[in-house]
Amino acid sequence: MEYAIIFLPLIGAFLSGFFGKSIDDKYCAILTSTLVAISGILSLFVFYEVLTHDYSSNKLIYNWISSGDFKANWSIKIDPLTSVMLVVVSVISSIIHFYSIGYMDHDQHKPRFMAYLSLFTFAMLTLVTADNFLQLFFGWEGVGLCSYLLIGFWYKKPAANAAAIKAFIVNRVGDFGFAIGIFLIFFFFGTVNYNEVFQQVPLLAQKSIIFLGIEFNLITLICLLLFVGSMGKSAQILLHTWLPDAMEGPTPVSALIHAATMVTAGVFLVVRCSPIFEYSQVALNVVALVGMITAFFAATVALVQNDIKKIIAYSTCSQLGYMFFAAGIGAYHVAIFHLFTHAFFKALLFLGSGCVIHSFNEEQDIRSMGGVWKKIPYTYTLMVIGTLALTGFPFLSGYYSKEAIIEFSYFKGSTIGYYAVAVGIITALITALYSWRLIFKTFHGRYNNKKNNLSSIQESSLTMLIPSSLLAVGAIITGAILKEIFIGENTNFWNNSILFLQSIHHDHLPLWLLIITPIIIIIAIPTAYYLFIKNEKILRNFVLKNQVLYNFLVNKWYFDELYNFIFVEPIKKIGLFFWKKGDINTIDRYGPEGLSKLVKVLSDKAVNFQNGYLYHYAFVMLVGFSVLLTYLILVK
Amino acid sequence: MLVHSLFFYFFSAITVFSAIMVTVSRNTVYSVFFLILVFVSVSILFIMIGAEFLGMIMLIVYVGAVAVLFLFVVMMLNVTEQITKRATTKGLINNISVASIVGMIIFLELLVVVGGWKYKESFVSLSDINLYSSNTHMLGNVLYTDYIHLFQIAGMILLIAMIGAITLTFNKRENVKRQNYFRQIQREKNDGVSLVDVETGKGIKIDD
Amino acid sequence: MIEIGLGHYLTLAAIIFIIGVIGIFLNRKNVIIILMSIELILLAVNINLVSFSIYLQDLVGQIFTMFILTVAAAEAAVGLAIIVIYYKNKGSIHVEQISSLKG
Repeated sequence: MEYAIIFLPLIGAFLSGFFGKSIDDKYCAILTSTLVAISGILSLFVFYEVLTHDYSSNKLIYNWISSGDFKANWSIKIDPLTSVMLVVVSVISSIIHFYSIGYMDHDQHKPRFMAYLSLFTFAMLTLVTADNFLQLFFGWEGVGLCSYLLIGFWYKKPAANAAAIKAFIVNRVGDFGFAIGIFLIFFFFGTVNYNEVFQQVPLLAQKSIIFLGIEFNLITLICLLLFVGSMGKSAQILLHTWLPDAMEGPTPVSALIHAATMVTAGVFLVVRCSPIFEYSQVALNVVALVGMITAFFAATVALVQNDIKKIIAYSTCSQLGYMFFAAGIGAYHVAIFHLFTHAFFKALLFLGSGCVIHSFNEEQDIRSMGGVWKKIPYTYTLMVIGTLALTGFPFLSGYYSKEAIIEFSYFKGSTIGYYAVAVGIITALITALYSWRLIFKTFHGRYNNKKNNLSSIQESSLTMLIPSSLLAVGAIITGAILKEIFIGENTNFWNNSILFLQSIHHDHLPLWLLIITPIIIIIAIPTAYYLFIKNEKILRNFVLKNQVLYNFLVNKWYFDELYNFIFVEPIKKIGLFFWKKGDINTIDRYGPEGLSKLVKVLSDKAVNFQNGYLYHYAFVMLVGFSVLLTYLILVK
Repeated sequence: MLVHSLFFYFFSAITVFSAIMVTVSRNTVYSVFFLILVFVSVSILFIMIGAEFLGMIMLIVYVGAVAVLFLFVVMMLNVTEQITKRATTKGLINNISVASIVGMIIFLELLVVVGGWKYKESFVSLSDINLYSSNTHMLGNVLYTDYIHLFQIAGMILLIAMIGAITLTFNKRENVKRQNYFRQIQREKNDGVSLVDVETGKGIKIDD
Repeated sequence: MIEIGLGHYLTLAAIIFIIGVIGIFLNRKNVIIILMSIELILLAVNINLVSFSIYLQDLVGQIFTMFILTVAAAEAAVGLAIIVIYYKNKGSIHVEQISSLKG
């Protein structure tokens, strides 16, 4: 059964990619969606098995590498963590497949799109079912590749191409750190298989090595390097610049890859390597710190963005920060829980925004929307549900997971923990503000669109609404259902897939902490309404007075400009130098071009020997004769 | 001996000088004249050395036939008016010094090779020079007996050359009426004259 | 130097040979000079043969000289005939215009 889960999407990708032209577009899309849906249903079965019968297995597919001490296999490992990820990936991927049938309706390249989506699903599934770092890395690179292919799907747009390259390169930087981490693991542990590595970690906990001239604790160093990989993949601060630009791809791509699955691969990595991370408090603190900074930073930037998809992208970035700082304080299961619920409501938000974009005829700027909540009620409802879940409105799924994060930070008790609580609450406020800003600006207020008539705004097709509704259902109920299983006090769900060195105490929360967040976010709703719809002047004056701050936020804290200045321009100059001087002037000049020029020059000179004059020929014969004679005389 | 060497040096100087003037002089007719002078002085040298038949033959054949032939052609082809520049830069040889250097090299090598030849002490000659009859007599003794084949072949060569020269330059002139007297003699009455009855007013067709 | 030996004649022949050879490619005038230089070369060979014949007291040299004489005459005749025909076709026998072999 596990084989089917992994390989059905691959078969779908293969068929659609190579035979999509022969099969009709529509059948192609339905075929791939069905295959992935079957995979999703099977993964629900697996999850159920793991839940009820403690099912876990490790099925070998193929002995990949067996070279001396280095052994790495293709295999499918099922354990609680994997089963949760399988459900997330395959269910959301199948929903998005069905959604794309409607969204990409008037695109001519549907088979290619479906092939890429299924290929991505396959790569992600390989990633989560790996039982060694090498297969994980294969899946890691595979999703990076599919992300590149999908962001640059409309390859005739130069902006899309640039965004795809940017995503791939920034990812690469993260992968570089990740690869060095894996090298260190192999060098010191002698193996890259999870089980063996995890067993040996306690033995090497105190070892320190010299790396690049500085002395590090080995485990800390490995964890930091693995975390660099996660930073790249999950768009944490410093390596986040690709995520907003990745919105150039079609909306289903943004939903699948940049909300629900690929960016969560980083979180998955940290949680999977919890046995390693638990032994390095420094690394955990770094993870938590980076997560907090990212959450705060992304929320502030999202507040002033105007593109509907970019707002949701920064929201993703921020929520990933939440997950990371949950992992950083040692509450890995909470991070996975938040990952699960976030996948649903973030994908819902993206798909809903896709419906909005469709209704507004490809308009993406929220300043050009407004006042249509009566016209497109279904879309409106879906978006509202998603926003409620995102902000953590009580009793929806986001509430349970976000509250859990803040609770566990409080339980941790250290300085990091208290900072985390503060940052978590403040960020929740900002999150609420920008989410409701999005809703109000898009659906309420005046109708601002200059291009379309108010009457031409229509509801999206059923193929788009039904999958979104499924996600809405998930966004509402998954929190309540799975809370006890994932993060309850006496749960034994995680078994040995996550390691907790110190068990987290579940004291009672002080009451103020319990209710402060819901109150803040409920108050934020009318506040946002007032500030953004009713009385915009307050904000406008505020912006005018603090133009610098506003510019700072709008330009995403100037990260892009900084990176451009430090990295991109110098590398371009170096490349130009090597090309012009090194390649053309040196190698080409003395190599091929030099040789051909030399041959031409020599042959031009040699042609003069045959100028048709007989006396010339006689002279040459004479010279030859004299040379021969001289040689014979001298030698003999 | 002194006279002998004086003669030799004098005539060889004339030879060398004339040879140089053959190639160098501007007027082609002058070149032919200098060629004649070379032939004459070499023939004198031959007579001096004791091969007087050869000297006379050279005078008759070379000067009397070959050089006169040159003169004929020179006059016929109108080359006397061609006086060209001395050294142009066409072709690879644009410098007299290059040619003279190469010439010197070959000359020295010739000297070294031929002059350093060691000759056999007891040389058995095929045909002895009998100093007691004339050169002509001796040549006649040998030429028609031992070298008869070569003699005949030389005759063939001359014949072929003659035929070749005529073939090359002969152009048959068209439209020239000539007499073929054999046919004239063989003409008989019945294909020379024929009687025809002519009707008045009409002409006669004569097919010829 | 007073005593004229074989070497003097050989030197003379060598000089004339060289002059003939140089004359072939140093002339800028016309083709007849080339033919005359060839005659000079043949003449040098004749001098060589005759001097050797006298020195070695063997008559073969003179026989051979006669044949060379014959051949030289025949060749001069044919060569001049060719020049005449060439002049009739091309109009001039200037050396620098004879470059049809160019390539």
